[in-house]
Amino acid sequence: MSAPVLEVEDLRVRLRTPRGTAHVVNGLDYTVGPGETVAVVGESGSGKSVSVLALMGLLPSGSATVTGRALLQGEDLLAMSPDRLRRVRGPGMGMVFQDPMTSLNPVLTVGRQLVEGIRAHQRVSKQAARARAVELLAEVGLPDPARAVDRYPHELSGGMRQRVMIAIALSNSPALLVADEATTALDVTVQAQIIDLVERLQSEHGTGVIWITHDLGVVAGIADRVLVMYGGRCVEDGTVDDVLDRPRHPYTRGLLGALPDLAEPLADGSRRDLATIPGVPPPPTDLPPGCVFWPRCPVRGDARCETEQPPLTVVGSGSAALPHRAATWCGEDSR
Amino acid sequence: MQQYFRWAGNALTGDLGVSFRSGETVTSQIAERLPATLTLAVAALVVALVIALPLGMLSALHPRSFVDRIATVVSQIGISVPDFWLSIMLILLFAGTLGWLPSGGYVPLTEDPLAWLQRLVLPAVATGVVSGSVITRFVRSSMLEALGSDHVRTAQAKGLPTRQVLGWHVLRNALLPLVTVTGVQLAYLLSGVVVVEIVFSWPGLGQLALQAVRDRDFPVLQGAVLLFALVFLVINLLVDLLYSRIDPRISRR
Repeated sequence: MSAPVLEVEDLRVRLRTPRGTAHVVNGLDYTVGPGETVAVVGESGSGKSVSVLALMGLLPSGSATVTGRALLQGEDLLAMSPDRLRRVRGPGMGMVFQDPMTSLNPVLTVGRQLVEGIRAHQRVSKQAARARAVELLAEVGLPDPARAVDRYPHELSGGMRQRVMIAIALSNSPALLVADEATTALDVTVQAQIIDLVERLQSEHGTGVIWITHDLGVVAGIADRVLVMYGGRCVEDGTVDDVLDRPRHPYTRGLLGALPDLAEPLADGSRRDLATIPGVPPPPTDLPPGCVFWPRCPVRGDARCETEQPPLTVVGSGSAALPHRAATWCGEDSR
Repeated sequence: MQQYFRWAGNALTGDLGVSFRSGETVTSQIAERLPATLTLAVAALVVALVIALPLGMLSALHPRSFVDRIATVVSQIGISVPDFWLSIMLILLFAGTLGWLPSGGYVPLTEDPLAWLQRLVLPAVATGVVSGSVITRFVRSSMLEALGSDHVRTAQAKGLPTRQVLGWHVLRNALLPLVTVTGVQLAYLLSGVVVVEIVFSWPGLGQLALQAVRDRDFPVLQGAVLLFALVFLVINLLVDLLYSRIDPRISRR
């Protein structure tokens, strides 16, 4: 395997809040290779978004403390000067945010927003940047790109705006693309188009992708590897097949069990109730001392669950390069 | 009733009647006073913006900082202090104790620019401080709102230089609501300088209106009130027109 695009080691994020210090991300380790897609899944508040915003340096500097290492092409993002980090945003990594309705500036044309991103990193004339903007819009599949550059965001649909966001994120050919719930706000057909688009662009440019979502259907469709987050920790990671077909952590099993099963109605024609994981995630200001999932766990099969934090260890199959790991005290057969 | 319609009809043609007291037409009296009031209102607005923009922006960029707290206290005082009291204090300090500036009066710009300016400063500050305090609050809150918006995060994620993010993405969007507030404040200044005009014996419309009340000179008063109403309408119209220029969501249908 060639050198990874991104290597994250022991990433921790603490936020100062009125209710005390919130331990939002507690020791994440993962790598993203060139052309590889890593999906980060977890429910709201599990620290998914914060962990990538921390890499981009987009957390409020006053209240957030980020520690650990995050090597983007060998260079530590967390140790960079603000100016160096600014130069890396764009050519090093691009980001697509969740809500395309609010993520574009309403008073500037689409073209202007592309051009300023291009010209912030490349020494090109306005005309050349504009021509590049039209090319990019064509590349992301916007109809009539020559006219679309002069449109304002409110004149475009949600799916179109998200294509524009992708064009902006890709305008400086980043080594890493971060999609933070990029398709969550879109309807299913548009969602599929956007996923196809990202996959196509990724295979053309060899971009590494971090795809944050809580939609396991999307994960199965797009990801090479999956990282399941809960309470700011990685509770399980591995290849899509390992994690989705042979989940080891009770939380991952719960997530998969909570998927609606549309195909099979019961014998009397009714459908079974949707399985849920009872309870809510622990507040990041007050995490349990043992396994983070313990308070909601249906298994609790080990005496250490409540008091001792389980380490992330290799479980079951998986190769040395792509191990399947889970942070649980539960044994192989504890269903 | 008949009398009112006759007046209204004449008003449409620019004839507001004749002053009971001086025998001059109301139109000419107002026309004579209008430049002084306009000068004062515009000067006060300049003072207000000079105070409000930097102070509001600084507060928004460093929320809960020392500067922010000072700005909050100062603008609270500015809003609370009555303008006539501030006028008197300014006169006592700068005209009385220090003797730097005259205590009142008016000299047309064309006659003596320096004397004009000297007499303009104190009333402009006295009226501008209140508006400035109100506008500071608005600048702060709309800047904060713009700073926290998703598209500003997008701009940062693109790796734009900080100056460009603040100028084009934060300020540009923060200015939209500010235009409305500034318009309202200008209208308020134009019609609300009555008290300050009297304290500084500034020969503007406010003084004219008050004099008319004292003299029971109702055609003049009626004319002045009509003009104030007109000013509000015109400024609001201008603000709306300006909006369609600066906010593409409104202009394009």
